[in-house]
Amino acid sequence: MRLPASAVFFFCLLSLFASNAFAQSSYTISGFVRGTGSEEALIGATVAVPELRTGAVTDARGFYTLQLPQGSHTLQVTYIGYEAATRTIEVSDRNLTINFVLLAANSQLREVVVEANSLQQKLNANQMSVETLTTREAKLLPAIFGEVDLIKTLQLKPGVQSGGEGASGLYVRGGGPDQNLVLLDDAVVYNASHLFGFFSVFNPDAVESVELYKGGFPAQFGGRLSSVVDVKMRDGNKERISATGGIGLIASRLTVDGPIVKDKSSFIISGRRTYFDIFTRQINRLQEGKEDFSPIPDYYFYDLNGKVNYKLGEKDELFLSGYFGRDFFGFNDEDFQFRFDWGNKVGALRWQHKFNPRFQVNTTLSGSSYQYNINNKIDVFSFNLTSDIRDVALNTDFSLILDKGHTLQFGAMATRHGFTIGRLNFDSDDNRLSFGAGNDYEATEAAAYVSDDFQVSNRLSLNYGLRLSAFNSDGKTYAAFEPRASAKYNLSERTALKASYASMMQYIHLVANSGASLPTDIWYPSNDYVKPQRSQQVAAGISHLFGQGRFMITNELYYKWMHRQIDFRDGANLFVNDDLEEEFLFGKGESYGNEVYLEKIKGRTTGWVGYTLSWSYRQFDGINDGRRFPTRYDRRHDLSVVLLHKLSKRINLTGAFVYGTGNAYSLPVARFAFQDVEGKSAIVVPVYSDRNSFRLNAFHRLDLGLVLKLKPKWGEADLTFNAYNAYNRRNPYFVYFEQVKDEEDNETLGFRAKQVSLFPVIPSVTYNFKF
Amino acid sequence: MKAVFYTLLLPLLFLLVACDLEQEVEVKLPPHDSQLVVECYLEPGKNLRAVVLESVSYFNEPDLPLVPDAEVFITHQGKTIKLPFSPYQDQKAGKYFTHRRNEQLNLSPGDVVTLEVRDRKGRHVTGTTTIVGPVPIEAVEWKFNDKEKAYLLTSFQDDPNAENFYRYMVHRDSLTNDSERDFVSSDRLTNGKRVSYGSAYDYERGDTLVVSLFHIEKQYYDFLSSVSDARNANGNPFAQPSRIVSSVQGGIGIFTNLSYDRKTVIID
Repeated sequence: MRLPASAVFFFCLLSLFASNAFAQSSYTISGFVRGTGSEEALIGATVAVPELRTGAVTDARGFYTLQLPQGSHTLQVTYIGYEAATRTIEVSDRNLTINFVLLAANSQLREVVVEANSLQQKLNANQMSVETLTTREAKLLPAIFGEVDLIKTLQLKPGVQSGGEGASGLYVRGGGPDQNLVLLDDAVVYNASHLFGFFSVFNPDAVESVELYKGGFPAQFGGRLSSVVDVKMRDGNKERISATGGIGLIASRLTVDGPIVKDKSSFIISGRRTYFDIFTRQINRLQEGKEDFSPIPDYYFYDLNGKVNYKLGEKDELFLSGYFGRDFFGFNDEDFQFRFDWGNKVGALRWQHKFNPRFQVNTTLSGSSYQYNINNKIDVFSFNLTSDIRDVALNTDFSLILDKGHTLQFGAMATRHGFTIGRLNFDSDDNRLSFGAGNDYEATEAAAYVSDDFQVSNRLSLNYGLRLSAFNSDGKTYAAFEPRASAKYNLSERTALKASYASMMQYIHLVANSGASLPTDIWYPSNDYVKPQRSQQVAAGISHLFGQGRFMITNELYYKWMHRQIDFRDGANLFVNDDLEEEFLFGKGESYGNEVYLEKIKGRTTGWVGYTLSWSYRQFDGINDGRRFPTRYDRRHDLSVVLLHKLSKRINLTGAFVYGTGNAYSLPVARFAFQDVEGKSAIVVPVYSDRNSFRLNAFHRLDLGLVLKLKPKWGEADLTFNAYNAYNRRNPYFVYFEQVKDEEDNETLGFRAKQVSLFPVIPSVTYNFKF
Repeated sequence: MKAVFYTLLLPLLFLLVACDLEQEVEVKLPPHDSQLVVECYLEPGKNLRAVVLESVSYFNEPDLPLVPDAEVFITHQGKTIKLPFSPYQDQKAGKYFTHRRNEQLNLSPGDVVTLEVRDRKGRHVTGTTTIVGPVPIEAVEWKFNDKEKAYLLTSFQDDPNAENFYRYMVHRDSLTNDSERDFVSSDRLTNGKRVSYGSAYDYERGDTLVVSLFHIEKQYYDFLSSVSDARNANGNPFAQPSRIVSSVQGGIGIFTNLSYDRKTVIID
């Protein structure tokens, strides 16, 4: 506790001391950076003023602001996949609005990395502990089954881990997958995965970029302890109708976008669907009637994304975004029908209003729901189980640029949550059986925040803010202050020091008892018995540019305290339980580590190397007799090497290698024989001791990719070849103990440990097109 | 276009041939401090019998870990009875016992009986059970579908004034076969209601079924649930490992009483 409090004090003191140091008169230069062709906002574009060694990066709306003194200045704008633009401006006695439209580089599709944000600008950015990834980058990298997944690509960044092979959950700096705030165009997404966590819900064709905050959280964000995953959908092409799509091993996708009213309004609509079920139905049909053949159940998922934007005038613009996705698992027989479906519905309407170039507001009304349904019918008996969470939220965020280097961000949010937990109905047609269970809860969450981004001098900048959050459910109210602070100091043109502190609250909790992301994981509100979770994190880092600005190395240290962490007692019944709170256990957690990140983003060969050394622990009175234990994803060493090489104009080669210490795992240490009562056979019962006291074997894998551009007459196309797990490593998914029996007399011969792996080498081809 | 489509599916073939995804691995287990494992059920009309074994490190040889020096005592209404070490197998039930005494207790619901087990290593296990009365099966019914298969429905009335736990078993023909259905249940969702346990269309005309409804103690319910959880955790990557919740202290195991109603029906 002492360190973060003193860190905040230090930042405040520094800001007071420094507030008079910036007395130079300056003016605000601001505007949007858009790309030609689609006229879409370019997120993360660099607007640099080389002679002043300053610059800015565009935000999620493609908007940038700069403070410049009077005089003549040259603005240089760069962005991946677009030609750089240069413009000289004269700053005399007023603020200026300068918009840029960048020409698309002479590229096919959107894969060619021409130039990324300059590392210099990244070095100069105030925000630390953030990873940005665009669909452009993600599409170049090899992916399992050829399905590009931005969330899984984020797992290649330091400090971010996957829960298991192929899983799309994010474990950020020792936090759980329930502690990530996932936003799609500012609306919360509750269960961001398909197919038991193997794919994220974000269709890459509909997504522009994703930003992952691991620490140093801006005051605008709250509600989860460990990370913010901010996903932005693409705007539609403002000039002409275009279509993009792909046919892959397991799914196909199609996106259409274009103008509705030229220069005013555009749309994008995107869909994808898997087709395992088409093949499994064929197999079922061919095998029908054969003895010992059990039909394969149907499984598919689909999702739809849509976005419309409308420019009301110079100062106002509306954006309407929506997402709808569903997974379906079903089985049909004369006597037995089983249907299990789950998915998210997300909608957001954002109004952007600019009072003037220095003052703007974004107001978003959003709705989000996640629901699962299990319907089971055996002749006259029917069983139905449903859980869901439903949100309506209103957010408003102001941005005000003041003189003397201050930029204020302030705003407020309110969310109405509705929860249905384990709504069960069991009936028979003849009314001989009927019973039900389940609970409904309502809750309100609200917050207000203010923060100041203060450019103290060319070397020093500070950001400090405060968030006040509150939560009410079932007559119980919780409220908390969440202070945030960060600082950046440029030791030289090539070296910057950064530090941050963030306190976070989490008022709703995921009820999940496994390492995987299951569709039956449900959200549960804080109440009298279940108190909100809280975390505090301090981080410090240094970034250094070398090799004539072509390489940047960043090292970040972090320490995170987590209070009132949640786990469940052994043998907890989380599925249908009207007294769910009795299953909760409360404890604490801590995680700490060091992340090294070396990156190169210009030239024919680009890529990064990330290495994380970390520790992650939890401690609960009711687990391990109160002793501290490592989390399942406690990973001492985690290495990722990602390389992209442009072999020729038509061929791109990519490779990604990952290595990680084996997951912590629980295994039985002993066994005993249990005879049971008359009418039961004797069995062997495993005895577990300390939680997660074993380690699975280390995990490593190499993925290779090749993008070959084709030259069709009608537009653009490519073939993407991938080899997931190229050297066919048998990575451990889990280990179990097996009883070895004599086949003839069924006598037990001994016991042995077996390791199960999930994916062998998986080659795949995807055909992508655009016209 | 169709040809392109099928070409894209070729990699699936690789997947099918490359599927050898299980392999034996070496796991080093820490030294295990053996614990006494006790299993003792009091059953009306049956002599006093108990099994005392010990837990062993998982990869030990599959021998039966007997504890010949263990002493077993059962106390009821101030009278303590010692069960001597006398291994034998009940041929009819197919069960093995290490300690026994040809004596029966005169038990009534509400009676408290205690168990004590000691051995020369100083291990000491104690347990207590409170005798419960049986809950009668009100009806065993079945209904055929048009494929001449029947489902089974067993109904009973739950007592609204008590927290009740049940174990339900169905055997085909006789108890010597392993049960076809076996689960434990609480009255959390069905307190005071007429409860029916159903089945799938598993039965045909002429099948003989033995239906047993055990009215069990909470400690027996917890023990059986934890045994089931622990077994499921070994081999299920999604399950949280579960420790055994024993009804005895100082070791592992169960000391309880068996109170049940049993009906034998012939499906017709």
